[in-house]
Amino acid sequence: MPAINKREKWASKIGLILALAGNAIGLGNFLRFPVQAAENGGGAFMIPYFVALIIMGIPLMWAECAIGRMGGRYGQGHTAGMFELMWRHPCSKYLGMLGIFIPFTIALYYIYITSWTLAYGYFSLTGDYFGVATRETMGAYLRGFQGVESNQYFSSISPSYLAYLTTLGMSLYIVYHGISGGIERLGKIAMPLLFLIGVALAVRVLTFGTPDPNYPENNVLNGLGFVWNPQPERLTNPTIWLAAAGQIFFTLSVATGAVPTYTSYMREEDDVALTGLSTAGLNELAEVVLGGTIAITAAVAFFGLAETEEIARRGAFDLGFQALPMIFQKIPLGHLFGALWFLLLFFAGVTSVVALTQPVMALFQDGFGWSRGKTTCVVLAALFLLTQPVIFFLKHGFLDELDFWVGSFALVFFALIETIQFAWVFGMERGWNEITRGAAISVPRPFYYVIKYVTPLFLLFILAAWAVQDVPNKIFMVGVKPEDAPYVWGARGMMIALLLVFGFLVKIASGKKGERS
Amino acid sequence: MTIEGWILLVLSWSSIIAVVAYCMAKVLKRKG
Repeated sequence: MPAINKREKWASKIGLILALAGNAIGLGNFLRFPVQAAENGGGAFMIPYFVALIIMGIPLMWAECAIGRMGGRYGQGHTAGMFELMWRHPCSKYLGMLGIFIPFTIALYYIYITSWTLAYGYFSLTGDYFGVATRETMGAYLRGFQGVESNQYFSSISPSYLAYLTTLGMSLYIVYHGISGGIERLGKIAMPLLFLIGVALAVRVLTFGTPDPNYPENNVLNGLGFVWNPQPERLTNPTIWLAAAGQIFFTLSVATGAVPTYTSYMREEDDVALTGLSTAGLNELAEVVLGGTIAITAAVAFFGLAETEEIARRGAFDLGFQALPMIFQKIPLGHLFGALWFLLLFFAGVTSVVALTQPVMALFQDGFGWSRGKTTCVVLAALFLLTQPVIFFLKHGFLDELDFWVGSFALVFFALIETIQFAWVFGMERGWNEITRGAAISVPRPFYYVIKYVTPLFLLFILAAWAVQDVPNKIFMVGVKPEDAPYVWGARGMMIALLLVFGFLVKIASGKKGERS
Repeated sequence: MTIEGWILLVLSWSSIIAVVAYCMAKVLKRKG
């Protein structure tokens, strides 16, 4: 097959790495990681966390970068086309189609969640939530903002909807400006700013000391201890290993289809190994160094260990949108630090939204030969229409249903397929050549065997454990209120419809490619 | 914060910072 080289390219290597880091660094780095670490053995969590990073996270990142660069060589920016290149079988494009369906569906709700951070940044600057004094009332404030209930803080969903429209418009505006003119430029601005803001917030948190002398045990050191003090006896509990593997999986944003799409715009001489390792390193810097320092440490210093445990149990959003805004109300320059916190989350979110949108852009541009403008309009319209039920049926569990099946289960399933496709169908020898060709760093040979044997087995273990633990309850809607059931079925119907539509589109794109060949 | 906690924190932070510094030095050396 002749190589096609008319596609856009990244203007610089650092631009590609910052864009990939923008894809990987998301809200979870700052909200999910510290909660997971604190709940799963503290410092002991870091042992399975780094093991999972080495035997699953980095190998998957390398494999995805290699698949992407190879796809780009033949003008394929989406995983459906890439899978066809690796395995000439009628089924392969439908398996690869998951790498378009998954990011598009995640984008439907990730855009909305990211828009909350934009609104809360504004509310911090204007002091809108200042005076909302307890976690319960901050919870009511968040629910009012989301339109889940009408209360004294918000009588309609309008502010939330306005933030959503702004975020959607900004994201598609960036995507419209293309790889080097839009996404690369965003990465070069947003990523350095994110790290600067992160460092400023981390320094502020570390200088909290003991905020209330009446409660000397509520201090920064105990906060760090909450995240880092090891409980080695918990290492024998498989749940900790599963939690660590899950965290690594989500934090690197592998198997969302975005990494192969981004790396399909690499130049032939760009190397995969250094790009992948740099991306993983920057992501870990944001997660472990900054994410592990800011939110939980601040919560312990102000609320104490017992209440922080309760906050952590209730989830990441309680930490980010309820506990921290209360702290900003208590510190000097709280308006500024609140705005910086939510700006940090917004940068983390919007760079991921853009990455999640690009695979479907690549399907239309590479598969159908559409212009960037036409593709952006169609994708914008589709995202807008399909996000409406996510926004208006939030309280009925519509978003949660999408998140479980697509944002959790399908991701691991696709990662497993991708690894098997790369290491066993395409062949590890050829795969290894793709990873090491032109590499600026030497990739240790043991990774050949890790990618071939260990990574797929590890993914199979995660998938099986989740399938046993969570899938039956989800399928049979355990805990779902009877009045919410139609909405949950609606979410399932939408996912099935999207699968069929993308399957149809991929079939047409494959046919067009055959005609061109 | 226990001594074991400090050890894990310092080991984790220093490993990550060392990897990022090494990678960025390589990337910038290659120029883009």
